[in-house]
Amino acid sequence: MSEKEKERYLRQLGLEEWDQDKLKSAKVFVAGVGGLGSAASLYLAAAGVGLLRLCDSDRVALSDLNRQVLYSEKSLGKSKVQEAKKRLVALNPEVTVETKAEAINRDNIEQLAAGCDLIVDGLDNMETRFVLNGYSVRKRIAYVYGAIHGWVGMASLILPPRTGCLACLMPSLPPAAGPIPVAGFIPGTIGLIQAAEACKYLMGVKGTLAGRLLIYDSRALTFDLIDWGKNPLCSVCGEKK
Amino acid sequence: MINVFLKAGSELRLKLKPDVDYYTRRVETEGGKTLREILRQIGLDPAFVAFAYSEGKLRNLDYIPQDGQNITLQPPVSGG
Repeated sequence: MSEKEKERYLRQLGLEEWDQDKLKSAKVFVAGVGGLGSAASLYLAAAGVGLLRLCDSDRVALSDLNRQVLYSEKSLGKSKVQEAKKRLVALNPEVTVETKAEAINRDNIEQLAAGCDLIVDGLDNMETRFVLNGYSVRKRIAYVYGAIHGWVGMASLILPPRTGCLACLMPSLPPAAGPIPVAGFIPGTIGLIQAAEACKYLMGVKGTLAGRLLIYDSRALTFDLIDWGKNPLCSVCGEKK
Repeated sequence: MINVFLKAGSELRLKLKPDVDYYTRRVETEGGKTLREILRQIGLDPAFVAFAYSEGKLRNLDYIPQDGQNITLQPPVSGG
Protein backbone atom coordinates (compact mmCIF):
# COMPACT_ATOMS: atom_id res chain seq x y z
CA MET A 1 0.00 0.00 0.00
CA SER A 2 1.13 3.55 -0.67
CA GLU A 3 1.36 6.04 2.18
CA LYS A 4 -1.77 7.70 0.84
CA GLU A 5 -3.68 4.39 0.90
CA LYS A 6 -2.47 3.71 4.45
CA GLU A 7 -3.85 7.07 5.50
CA ARG A 8 -7.09 6.60 3.58
CA TYR A 9 -7.78 3.20 5.14
CA LEU A 10 -6.26 3.98 8.52
CA ARG A 11 -9.48 3.60 10.51
CA GLN A 12 -10.32 0.16 9.09
CA LEU A 13 -6.79 -1.24 9.09
CA GLY A 14 -7.04 -1.43 12.85
CA LEU A 15 -9.94 -3.89 12.70
CA GLU A 16 -9.18 -7.48 13.70
CA GLU A 17 -9.06 -9.78 10.64
CA TRP A 18 -9.08 -6.84 8.23
CA ASP A 19 -7.06 -7.58 5.07
CA GLN A 20 -6.80 -4.58 2.80
CA ASP A 21 -4.65 -6.42 0.27
CA LYS A 22 -7.40 -8.99 -0.28
CA LEU A 23 -9.94 -6.23 -0.85
CA LYS A 24 -7.60 -4.44 -3.21
CA SER A 25 -7.16 -7.52 -5.37
CA ALA A 26 -10.88 -8.34 -5.46
CA LYS A 27 -13.25 -7.87 -8.38
CA VAL A 28 -16.91 -7.38 -7.62
CA PHE A 29 -19.80 -7.43 -10.06
CA VAL A 30 -22.56 -5.07 -8.93
CA ALA A 31 -25.76 -6.11 -10.69
CA GLY A 32 -27.87 -2.96 -10.66
CA VAL A 33 -27.01 0.46 -9.26
CA GLY A 34 -30.44 1.46 -8.02
CA GLY A 35 -31.35 1.63 -4.35
CA LEU A 36 -29.40 -1.40 -3.18
CA GLY A 37 -26.53 -1.10 -5.61
CA SER A 38 -26.00 2.62 -4.91
CA ALA A 39 -25.54 2.02 -1.21
CA ALA A 40 -23.52 -1.16 -1.58
CA SER A 41 -21.15 0.18 -4.22
CA LEU A 42 -20.58 3.41 -2.29
CA TYR A 43 -19.31 1.51 0.73
CA LEU A 44 -17.43 -1.07 -1.31
CA ALA A 45 -15.59 1.80 -2.96
CA ALA A 46 -14.98 3.49 0.37
CA ALA A 47 -13.56 0.23 1.75
CA GLY A 48 -11.16 -0.04 -1.18
CA VAL A 49 -12.42 -3.03 -3.17
CA GLY A 50 -10.02 -3.08 -6.11
CA LEU A 51 -12.45 -3.35 -8.99
CA LEU A 52 -16.18 -2.68 -9.17
CA ARG A 53 -17.97 -3.64 -12.37
CA LEU A 54 -21.29 -1.81 -12.41
CA CYS A 55 -24.05 -3.16 -14.61
CA ASP A 56 -27.33 -1.31 -15.21
CA SER A 57 -29.16 -0.33 -18.40
CA ASP A 58 -31.27 2.40 -16.77
CA ARG A 59 -31.05 6.18 -16.84
CA VAL A 60 -31.57 8.31 -13.76
CA ALA A 61 -35.14 9.51 -13.11
CA LEU A 62 -36.39 12.03 -10.54
CA SER A 63 -38.30 9.32 -8.68
CA ASP A 64 -34.99 7.48 -8.13
CA LEU A 65 -33.56 10.23 -5.96
CA ASN A 66 -35.39 9.29 -2.74
CA ARG A 67 -33.11 6.26 -2.43
CA GLN A 68 -30.44 6.05 -5.15
CA VAL A 69 -27.83 8.07 -3.34
CA LEU A 70 -25.13 8.00 -6.00
CA TYR A 71 -27.10 10.50 -8.11
CA SER A 72 -28.27 14.08 -8.00
CA GLU A 73 -30.57 16.28 -10.06
CA LYS A 74 -27.60 16.88 -12.37
CA SER A 75 -27.75 13.16 -13.17
CA LEU A 76 -31.31 13.20 -14.49
CA GLY A 77 -31.64 11.46 -17.86
CA LYS A 78 -28.07 10.21 -17.78
CA SER A 79 -26.74 6.66 -17.71
CA LYS A 80 -26.75 5.28 -14.17
CA VAL A 81 -23.49 3.39 -14.53
CA GLN A 82 -21.69 6.46 -15.90
CA GLU A 83 -23.02 8.72 -13.14
CA ALA A 84 -22.26 6.08 -10.53
CA LYS A 85 -18.71 5.74 -11.78
CA LYS A 86 -18.13 9.49 -11.46
CA ARG A 87 -19.30 9.48 -7.86
CA LEU A 88 -17.41 6.37 -6.82
CA VAL A 89 -14.14 7.42 -8.40
CA ALA A 90 -14.46 10.86 -6.80
CA LEU A 91 -14.87 9.15 -3.42
CA ASN A 92 -11.97 6.76 -3.96
CA PRO A 93 -9.73 7.10 -7.04
CA GLU A 94 -7.82 4.01 -5.87
CA VAL A 95 -10.76 1.86 -7.02
CA THR A 96 -11.15 0.82 -10.66
CA VAL A 97 -14.73 1.18 -11.82
CA GLU A 98 -15.91 -0.55 -14.97
CA THR A 99 -19.31 0.11 -16.47
CA LYS A 100 -21.73 -2.04 -18.42
CA ALA A 101 -24.86 -0.19 -19.55
CA GLU A 102 -26.68 -3.44 -20.29
CA ALA A 103 -29.66 -5.40 -19.02
CA ILE A 104 -28.61 -8.75 -17.58
CA ASN A 105 -30.05 -11.92 -19.11
CA ARG A 106 -29.17 -15.61 -19.42
CA ASP A 107 -27.25 -15.01 -22.64
CA ASN A 108 -24.93 -12.27 -21.44
CA ILE A 109 -24.36 -12.88 -17.72
CA GLU A 110 -21.24 -14.97 -18.24
CA GLN A 111 -19.62 -12.32 -20.37
CA LEU A 112 -20.74 -9.46 -18.08
CA ALA A 113 -19.54 -11.02 -14.84
CA ALA A 114 -16.46 -12.77 -16.25
CA GLY A 115 -13.47 -12.70 -13.95
CA CYS A 116 -15.35 -11.40 -10.91
CA ASP A 117 -14.94 -12.98 -7.49
CA LEU A 118 -18.34 -12.07 -6.14
CA ILE A 119 -21.72 -10.75 -7.27
CA VAL A 120 -23.68 -8.11 -5.37
CA ASP A 121 -27.41 -8.16 -6.08
CA GLY A 122 -28.82 -4.70 -6.72
CA LEU A 123 -31.64 -5.88 -8.95
CA ASP A 124 -35.30 -4.91 -8.89
CA ASN A 125 -36.93 -8.10 -10.16
CA MET A 126 -36.86 -11.81 -9.30
CA GLU A 127 -36.52 -13.08 -12.87
CA THR A 128 -33.08 -11.52 -13.26
CA ARG A 129 -32.15 -12.56 -9.73
CA PHE A 130 -32.70 -16.14 -10.83
CA VAL A 131 -30.31 -15.52 -13.72
CA LEU A 132 -27.68 -14.38 -11.21
CA ASN A 133 -28.50 -17.33 -8.98
CA GLY A 134 -28.08 -19.81 -11.81
CA TYR A 135 -24.76 -18.25 -12.79
CA SER A 136 -23.58 -18.25 -9.18
CA VAL A 137 -24.41 -21.97 -8.80
CA ARG A 138 -22.85 -22.98 -12.15
CA LYS A 139 -19.64 -21.07 -11.58
CA ARG A 140 -19.55 -21.49 -7.78
CA ILE A 141 -19.22 -17.75 -7.32
CA ALA A 142 -20.34 -16.02 -4.12
CA TYR A 143 -23.59 -14.12 -4.47
CA VAL A 144 -24.65 -11.48 -1.97
CA TYR A 145 -28.42 -11.50 -2.24
CA GLY A 146 -30.49 -8.47 -1.29
CA ALA A 147 -34.10 -7.44 -1.81
CA ILE A 148 -36.52 -4.86 -0.43
CA HIS A 149 -40.20 -4.03 -0.32
CA GLY A 150 -41.89 -1.34 1.73
CA TRP A 151 -40.57 -1.39 5.28
CA VAL A 152 -38.81 -4.74 4.83
CA GLY A 153 -35.46 -5.78 3.43
CA MET A 154 -33.49 -9.00 3.39
CA ALA A 155 -29.96 -10.13 2.68
CA SER A 156 -27.91 -13.28 2.57
CA LEU A 157 -24.65 -14.71 1.29
CA ILE A 158 -25.07 -17.58 -1.14
CA LEU A 159 -21.96 -19.76 -1.43
CA PRO A 160 -22.48 -22.62 -3.85
CA PRO A 161 -22.19 -25.52 -3.40
CA ARG A 162 -22.02 -25.14 0.41
CA THR A 163 -25.20 -23.16 1.04
CA GLY A 164 -28.69 -23.20 -0.35
CA CYS A 165 -29.39 -21.05 -3.39
CA LEU A 166 -32.21 -18.65 -4.16
CA ALA A 167 -34.29 -21.44 -5.66
CA CYS A 168 -34.04 -23.37 -2.36
CA LEU A 169 -35.70 -20.38 -0.72
CA MET A 170 -38.21 -19.70 -3.48
CA PRO A 171 -38.69 -22.78 -5.67
CA SER A 172 -40.95 -20.95 -8.07
CA LEU A 173 -40.66 -17.47 -9.47
CA PRO A 174 -42.97 -15.12 -7.53
CA PRO A 175 -45.39 -13.08 -9.65
CA ALA A 176 -43.86 -9.94 -11.13
CA ALA A 177 -44.54 -6.80 -9.13
CA GLY A 178 -45.14 -3.29 -10.42
CA PRO A 179 -43.37 -0.25 -8.89
CA ILE A 180 -43.01 -1.06 -5.21
CA PRO A 181 -43.34 1.33 -2.30
CA VAL A 182 -40.00 2.00 -0.61
CA ALA A 183 -38.28 4.64 1.48
CA GLY A 184 -34.59 5.21 0.89
CA PHE A 185 -33.41 3.99 4.26
CA ILE A 186 -34.53 0.42 3.53
CA PRO A 187 -32.32 -0.24 0.48
CA GLY A 188 -29.73 1.91 2.19
CA THR A 189 -29.67 -0.40 5.21
CA ILE A 190 -29.70 -3.60 3.17
CA GLY A 191 -27.14 -2.25 0.69
CA LEU A 192 -24.74 -1.61 3.56
CA ILE A 193 -25.33 -5.06 4.97
CA GLN A 194 -24.51 -6.40 1.51
CA ALA A 195 -21.30 -4.36 1.43
CA ALA A 196 -20.38 -5.77 4.84
CA GLU A 197 -21.02 -9.35 3.70
CA ALA A 198 -19.06 -8.80 0.50
CA CYS A 199 -16.06 -7.39 2.34
CA LYS A 200 -16.12 -10.11 5.00
CA TYR A 201 -16.27 -12.83 2.37
CA LEU A 202 -13.48 -11.31 0.29
CA MET A 203 -11.22 -11.00 3.32
CA GLY A 204 -12.08 -14.42 4.75
CA VAL A 205 -13.62 -12.95 7.90
CA LYS A 206 -15.74 -15.44 9.82
CA GLY A 207 -19.31 -14.70 10.83
CA THR A 208 -21.16 -14.09 7.60
CA LEU A 209 -24.72 -14.60 6.43
CA ALA A 210 -23.71 -17.76 4.56
CA GLY A 211 -26.63 -20.17 4.89
CA ARG A 212 -28.71 -17.59 6.76
CA LEU A 213 -31.26 -15.00 5.71
CA LEU A 214 -31.41 -11.70 7.54
CA ILE A 215 -34.83 -10.05 7.43
CA TYR A 216 -35.10 -6.46 8.61
CA ASP A 217 -38.54 -5.03 9.29
CA SER A 218 -38.20 -1.34 10.03
CA ARG A 219 -41.86 -0.97 10.99
CA ALA A 220 -41.91 -3.95 13.40
CA LEU A 221 -38.40 -3.11 14.67
CA THR A 222 -37.17 -6.64 14.12
CA PHE A 223 -34.09 -8.27 12.71
CA ASP A 224 -34.83 -11.95 12.11
CA LEU A 225 -32.06 -14.41 11.29
CA ILE A 226 -33.32 -17.52 9.56
CA ASP A 227 -31.40 -20.71 8.86
CA TRP A 228 -31.63 -21.29 5.13
CA GLY A 229 -30.82 -24.90 4.44
CA LYS A 230 -29.94 -26.45 1.14
CA ASN A 231 -32.78 -28.30 -0.59
CA PRO A 232 -31.45 -31.58 -2.02
CA LEU A 233 -34.32 -31.54 -4.53
CA CYS A 234 -33.69 -27.95 -5.63
CA SER A 235 -34.10 -27.59 -9.39
CA VAL A 236 -31.00 -25.39 -9.58
CA CYS A 237 -28.48 -26.61 -7.03
CA GLY A 238 -29.92 -29.88 -5.75
CA GLU A 239 -27.93 -33.06 -5.96
CA LYS A 240 -31.11 -35.07 -6.42
CA LYS A 241 -32.85 -32.72 -8.88
CA MET B 1 -58.26 -28.68 17.20
CA ILE B 2 -55.08 -26.62 17.57
CA ASN B 3 -54.25 -22.92 17.55
CA VAL B 4 -51.64 -21.53 15.16
CA PHE B 5 -50.50 -17.90 15.28
CA LEU B 6 -49.73 -16.44 11.87
CA LYS B 7 -47.83 -13.18 11.60
CA ALA B 8 -47.30 -10.97 8.57
CA GLY B 9 -46.13 -7.47 7.75
CA SER B 10 -46.49 -5.16 4.75
CA GLU B 11 -49.47 -5.62 2.46
CA LEU B 12 -49.79 -9.25 3.48
CA ARG B 13 -50.77 -8.10 6.97
CA LEU B 14 -53.95 -6.58 5.59
CA LYS B 15 -54.85 -9.83 3.82
CA LEU B 16 -54.15 -11.81 7.00
CA LYS B 17 -56.61 -9.70 9.06
CA PRO B 18 -54.71 -9.78 12.40
CA ASP B 19 -56.78 -10.19 15.52
CA VAL B 20 -54.21 -10.76 18.28
CA ASP B 21 -52.00 -7.72 17.73
CA TYR B 22 -51.00 -5.47 14.84
CA TYR B 23 -49.33 -8.35 12.98
CA THR B 24 -50.78 -11.60 14.32
CA ARG B 25 -53.86 -13.69 13.68
CA ARG B 26 -54.88 -16.71 15.72
CA VAL B 27 -56.18 -19.56 13.60
CA GLU B 28 -58.02 -22.51 15.05
CA THR B 29 -57.61 -25.52 12.82
CA GLU B 30 -57.38 -29.28 12.73
CA GLY B 31 -54.02 -30.72 13.64
CA GLY B 32 -52.03 -32.19 10.76
CA LYS B 33 -52.93 -29.51 8.22
CA THR B 34 -50.15 -27.96 6.16
CA LEU B 35 -49.50 -24.25 6.16
CA ARG B 36 -50.87 -24.11 2.61
CA GLU B 37 -54.13 -25.71 3.75
CA ILE B 38 -54.40 -23.36 6.71
CA LEU B 39 -53.92 -20.34 4.47
CA ARG B 40 -56.71 -21.54 2.18
CA GLN B 41 -58.89 -22.15 5.23
CA ILE B 42 -58.65 -18.46 6.15
CA GLY B 43 -59.11 -17.29 2.58
CA LEU B 44 -55.50 -16.21 2.01
CA ASP B 45 -54.11 -17.25 -1.38
CA PRO B 46 -50.82 -19.12 -0.80
CA ALA B 47 -49.41 -17.40 -3.89
CA PHE B 48 -49.06 -14.26 -1.76
CA VAL B 49 -46.59 -16.07 0.54
CA ALA B 50 -43.05 -16.63 -0.75
CA PHE B 51 -41.96 -18.57 2.34
CA ALA B 52 -42.54 -18.76 6.06
CA TYR B 53 -40.36 -19.13 9.13
CA SER B 54 -40.57 -19.98 12.80
CA GLU B 55 -38.03 -20.48 15.57
CA GLY B 56 -35.30 -19.23 13.25
CA LYS B 57 -35.97 -21.89 10.64
CA LEU B 58 -37.30 -21.64 7.13
CA ARG B 59 -40.63 -23.39 6.53
CA ASN B 60 -42.20 -24.07 3.19
CA LEU B 61 -45.93 -24.22 2.66
CA ASP B 62 -46.00 -27.99 3.13
CA TYR B 63 -44.90 -27.51 6.73
CA ILE B 64 -47.33 -28.81 9.37
CA PRO B 65 -47.53 -26.37 12.31
CA GLN B 66 -47.84 -27.53 15.89
CA ASP B 67 -50.31 -26.31 18.51
CA GLY B 68 -49.40 -22.83 19.78
CA GLN B 69 -46.72 -22.26 17.17
CA ASN B 70 -45.95 -18.75 15.87
CA ILE B 71 -45.24 -18.63 12.17
CA THR B 72 -44.23 -15.55 10.18
CA LEU B 73 -45.44 -15.37 6.60
CA GLN B 74 -43.12 -13.61 4.18
CA PRO B 75 -44.54 -12.15 0.97
CA PRO B 76 -42.34 -11.95 -2.12
CA VAL B 77 -39.74 -9.24 -1.76
CA SER B 78 -38.31 -8.33 -5.13
CA GLY B 79 -37.38 -4.68 -5.14
CA GLY B 80 -33.93 -3.16 -5.21
